[in-house]
Amino acid sequence: MSRGNTTSSSLTPTDDALIAAIRGGDERALAHLYRLHWPMVSHFVLQNSGSEDDAQDVYQEGVMVFYEKVRDGSLELSCQIKTYLYAVCRRLWLKRLTSKSRFGVRLLDDEEHGPYLNTGAEEDLLAAEEQDRRFATMSEALNHLGEPCRSLLEGFYLLDKSMQDLTAEFGYTNADNAKNQKYKCLVRLKKLFFTHYKEESI
Amino acid sequence: MMTEADYYALFEAYAHGELAGPARANLEARLAADSVLALRYADFTEMTGTLRAYGQRQQARQQLRGIHAAMLAADAPEEIALPASKLTHSVNPMLHISRTERKLREFWSGHRATVGVAASVAVMAVFATLLGLDLWKTARTQPAMYGYQVLRREMDKLKRNQRALTQTIITQGPAPTPAVNTGKFSGTGFALTSEGYLVTSYHVIQGADSVLVEGHDKQRYHAEPVYSDLKHDLAILRITDKKFNGFGRLPYAIKSGQADLGERVYTLGYPREDVVYGEGSLSARSGFEGDTAFYQVSIPVNPGNSGGPLLDERGNLIGVVSGRQNDAQGAAFATKSSYLVRLVDSLDAAKPAAPYHLPRYGQLAGTGRPQQLKKLQDYVFVVKVFE
Repeated sequence: MSRGNTTSSSLTPTDDALIAAIRGGDERALAHLYRLHWPMVSHFVLQNSGSEDDAQDVYQEGVMVFYEKVRDGSLELSCQIKTYLYAVCRRLWLKRLTSKSRFGVRLLDDEEHGPYLNTGAEEDLLAAEEQDRRFATMSEALNHLGEPCRSLLEGFYLLDKSMQDLTAEFGYTNADNAKNQKYKCLVRLKKLFFTHYKEESI
Repeated sequence: MMTEADYYALFEAYAHGELAGPARANLEARLAADSVLALRYADFTEMTGTLRAYGQRQQARQQLRGIHAAMLAADAPEEIALPASKLTHSVNPMLHISRTERKLREFWSGHRATVGVAASVAVMAVFATLLGLDLWKTARTQPAMYGYQVLRREMDKLKRNQRALTQTIITQGPAPTPAVNTGKFSGTGFALTSEGYLVTSYHVIQGADSVLVEGHDKQRYHAEPVYSDLKHDLAILRITDKKFNGFGRLPYAIKSGQADLGERVYTLGYPREDVVYGEGSLSARSGFEGDTAFYQVSIPVNPGNSGGPLLDERGNLIGVVSGRQNDAQGAAFATKSSYLVRLVDSLDAAKPAAPYHLPRYGQLAGTGRPQQLKKLQDYVFVVKVFE
């Protein structure tokens, strides 16, 4: 089974509708998707010597990969969502197991999920790992930034607050002052972020 | 000279499309020309992009956590109608598992292999023990020789016969005699000395609590085992009754040498209530599986014959009937009398309470077989064993 030629045939109409709804930002669609495939992944992890909490971690990680791809619009699905999620979660759990165990790990698979190697999950996961690393560095840099810069930047970029709100919150005389402060903070963050990030990439 | 912070203000305004036409064109031209500035702009966009994506991810994670919590909270997953989709049925219904059952399932999935191994070891251990005990028991109770049958007789059949007999007596009128406690096993024995010593096979009295001997004239005596020789399947009994006053002179002599191949031999025994005569010839001078302590004789013998005397034509005792081979026709075995003599000699050396006087000369030589038997049957007894 090659990737391209089955794109339209193997996707069920429900899958298409779900993806469209999630891309449109429908929270209930995401919740529905989440509920739909949770038993499968939970069963898989529990069967392979994991706990309920492990299953939840792995599944949320997997759904996150899927969700971000959908939001980007960069998702190229050659199989059902179910299979894709299974492949991603399987891969994630395998990684955790190998890091935990001294011995080689063999996974018990449900036969019904077929050839999970052709799902493109591998590449997506590599990209997601890169992204994870970037976010970790960013979080590190924010922690090193110190107050009030950190709260200011988090308020503006992470929590989507308006400049007016932030001016009032941090007690600046006017919005321009606050903006100037923000730019200074950005400069400092940039130094922290790129030194860490580039160091790590080398 | 603009500081980096000033550039950031400019970049942000540009990215939001708030710059007026000329300023915008100016910046674009500078970005194209100045590679340092272009790099700075790229860094700016990457950083702000990462910041925004980071915020989005945190939100999404929060959302997923909320969904998971809601899913766990809601026992019955409600149907979610998606706009413009046919998702009206739940494709994969949730399994509802109680807390204990979930614990059990987790335990099972984690320790399945261990439990399986332990269980199979336990099962194997149980069966090995049972089998071993069984083997051990059979090895102890029987001479572990396959195909060899010792000829003591179980008395259950006797009991049944007796019950049937009492039944007929009742129907015929006279008062029933009180039921005699018959033994569990029976065999044959014969007088060894006139002082009250008897010989039988060891396996007849094996495990006996008490032994009763009963003669041809229905006279009963209590007896006790004095000595037994497991290896040659011989046992010596002594009559303990006070009223017993000797057998008188025994009509047969015990032969201390070996008998010859082909001699005509016969035996008397109690395979049933009455004394039974059996005749044949000595077919081999070794017994089961080449055991030289035994003769093979071609006398048809049955359970109950064990311990019976084996005599030759002149009336000399040459052996003690012991067993037969199941998978061979007409192959019975008897312990050689020379072993009996040797046994008695060794006992004599140990100074027993009453001395042994083995019969030296027989009185049967030269008489016809019926005359021989008439004399002989007074000295052949049923040995009944109670456990």
